[in-house]
Amino acid sequence: MLFYSFFKTLVGKTVTVELKNDLSITGKLVSVDQFLNIKLDAVKVTDETKYPHMMSVKNCFIRGSVVRYVSLPPRDVDTALLQDAARKEAQAPR
Amino acid sequence: MGDAPRKNPSDFLGNVLGKPVIVKLNSGVDYRGTLACLDGYMNIALEHTEEWVNGQKKNTYGDCFIRGNNVQYISPLRQ
Amino acid sequence: MSNRPDSDMVDVPVARDTNEPLDLVRLSLDERIFVKMRGDRELKGRLHAYDQHMNLVLGDVEEVITVVDIMEGTDEEVVRLVRRNHEMLFVRGDGVILVAPPQRS
Repeated sequence: MLFYSFFKTLVGKTVTVELKNDLSITGKLVSVDQFLNIKLDAVKVTDETKYPHMMSVKNCFIRGSVVRYVSLPPRDVDTALLQDAARKEAQAPR
Repeated sequence: MGDAPRKNPSDFLGNVLGKPVIVKLNSGVDYRGTLACLDGYMNIALEHTEEWVNGQKKNTYGDCFIRGNNVQYISPLRQ
Repeated sequence: MSNRPDSDMVDVPVARDTNEPLDLVRLSLDERIFVKMRGDRELKGRLHAYDQHMNLVLGDVEEVITVVDIMEGTDEEVVRLVRRNHEMLFVRGDGVILVAPPQRS
């Protein structure tokens, strides 16, 4: 639940999602769910020449399981809050 | 170690806790170190760990956490 | 099972510096950790958050990707290291193989 809550705080920000097939998609985070599926708007593919079929894609839904990384805007991440939340979640029974 | 009474996998794991082990991963890489603890997912904490990749020592770690899904087996390391 | 007071208990003869493997990760919060990933990737960065899946948020990340190029014709393998940096990175847990805290010395 920690990362679901975390991503919800980033809705409206621009992020870059790197998929396990190496495709990198930058866009505005529209929404996220408990599986960390992600919806992006104003999509731009980082290496467009390599993936020309992505040029007409304006928005997309990304299944959480195909994500490798999400690169985040550092100024919008409260690292002290994250660390506290991580410690709290570690105490909570699973 | 070989003469310790074993009944099931949990008994085996209880017997090797705190002892030197080899943890082999699905990738073929193995880790030699002291088994500090493990959980039901086979997540593992090792101490004084050496990383061996096809017969060569590639790295050492004071402590390390191994995500259980990568584990193929845990075996006592005879010394 | 055991509800005994912990003060005068005899230690069971097993290593119990940490109670469960994830404690090792918890104790690495706000430290620079090393992460070995699937796909011949290695990360070093400051650990800001993790969960039971090993999803992570890392800050000031240095990523090293080991790429093996096969030379055309000769089938010769050339190993190449690709380095990237990320200011703030969410890492999905299913790609994580190993997490190591900084070496204490």
